[in-house]
Amino acid sequence: MTINTVYIKLMGTLCLGIGLVVIVFLTAEKAVHRNNAFTRRYPPHPLNRLYELNLGFNSYYVAGFEGDDFYLGNHTAPKHLLKINLVTKDTSHVKIGFQTKNLPFRNLRTALYPPYFFIMDGTSPFILRGEIGKWTAKLWVQNAGYFLKAVPIDSNKVYLSTVSTALNRTVLGLLKIKDKPQLELNPDLLTPQIDGIFDSDGTLFFDGGSNTLGYAYLYRNELLIMNTELNLIKRLKTIDTITTAQIHIASDSIDHISQLKAPPLVVNKTAAFYGDLALVHSPRLGKNEPAHMLQEASIIDVYNWRKETYEFSFYIHNTENGSVKKFHLYDKWLVALMGKTISVYQLNPAFFAPPSFKTK
Amino acid sequence: MQRSKKIWFWLPYAISILCAILFIYAATSKLWDFQQFKVELGQSPVLTAYAEWVAWSVPLTEYALSVLLLIDTTRQKALFGFLGLMTMFTTYIVIVLNFSDYVPCSCGGVLENMGWTEHLVFNLFFVALAIIAILQLESRSVNKSNLS
Repeated sequence: MTINTVYIKLMGTLCLGIGLVVIVFLTAEKAVHRNNAFTRRYPPHPLNRLYELNLGFNSYYVAGFEGDDFYLGNHTAPKHLLKINLVTKDTSHVKIGFQTKNLPFRNLRTALYPPYFFIMDGTSPFILRGEIGKWTAKLWVQNAGYFLKAVPIDSNKVYLSTVSTALNRTVLGLLKIKDKPQLELNPDLLTPQIDGIFDSDGTLFFDGGSNTLGYAYLYRNELLIMNTELNLIKRLKTIDTITTAQIHIASDSIDHISQLKAPPLVVNKTAAFYGDLALVHSPRLGKNEPAHMLQEASIIDVYNWRKETYEFSFYIHNTENGSVKKFHLYDKWLVALMGKTISVYQLNPAFFAPPSFKTK
Repeated sequence: MQRSKKIWFWLPYAISILCAILFIYAATSKLWDFQQFKVELGQSPVLTAYAEWVAWSVPLTEYALSVLLLIDTTRQKALFGFLGLMTMFTTYIVIVLNFSDYVPCSCGGVLENMGWTEHLVFNLFFVALAIIAILQLESRSVNKSNLS
């Protein structure tokens, strides 16, 4: 061996070492983004905690946003809303007047679609509507069909899920009001796996900026993205690997009542949009994640539904009053409702590009 | 003159022993808290997808190389191996510092208290040592073959 060959060998070793790591780096970027390997990445500080507010009760749910105001409804006090100014942290109570008579109230839920607010009851069923600020609810639709969950997506349109009596399974639908109420169901969107009711359960979510509807299955790794006419745009797989709902159903053959007999494996707890981003609260650990984090925080996975990529994940830390029940992204904030408190975070625009600046 | 010759003679051995100590220490500290090491690798922006087998193969390779570094007949090959692995570590640091989306909070196991930049200098120092040792061993065998 001469000195010359040893130099060649040295150079070879160096190049091989560098080359190998560079190749691994380039392929890893792809693998993390597109594979179903279920490995998460947590970049530092995609959002910063601003403050927490104690609400005093755990019966609040998110009703909506208007301007800088965040509204909470209350299950046990349906005629009452809590209004929180996200900038000044001022809270005020809103009392809703009902111009109705003889309506059976069973399960009222208030939701905002500015400039209107809607009070919906899917088991009676009826929907009341009124203007934000005036706070008087008038009967808007009655007996147009029962529904399980509903989200107003326009001043005269409601996105809902219901059990189709003809098919005996959960379907998605739209309730449109022109001269008279019209319920349009689309049975092709939800695909039954076990019983068609429990296995298809999920979260309805909506983005007003891009006019997109979403459906996140509770028990499988799938998201549906639709337009406001309920036409399917995309079926997305999350990074999770559960493709079939893992639930066990006990059904009574005499009175035809079905129940879940074992705790189900929840894949997508809730979901929300932020422009092109779809955010999913996942209660499942990925590879190489410390198990104690599930006790301390909620994991939110961020997807770009337009590009069909997994982007990153972040934690919303639990407060002493509980963990995330529901979260919403609005303007430059993320608001998480957890037990008796809400946590307000500021979004870092490097990770959450403001939707209004994006071209459609 | 005589003395410096002696230093040059022993230098490759000294360097090999130093390198072996470094790798034995590094590998042991990784395996000591293996779960933590795997988690940290998993959070790394470059290695996420390969964390599982990288976590095993890196300390094992380090042990193997340290043994080979201490054996006369395999020393030179082991030095090449050491150089290769150190180059990979150094490249990894450069990539993490400059090209990845974010820099993970801590570096796995080895010399945890060092910052990323210090780590880079440290690695480059060992890369240089390995190159010197290889060249020294090489010139010796060239001299020998010239003599015979």
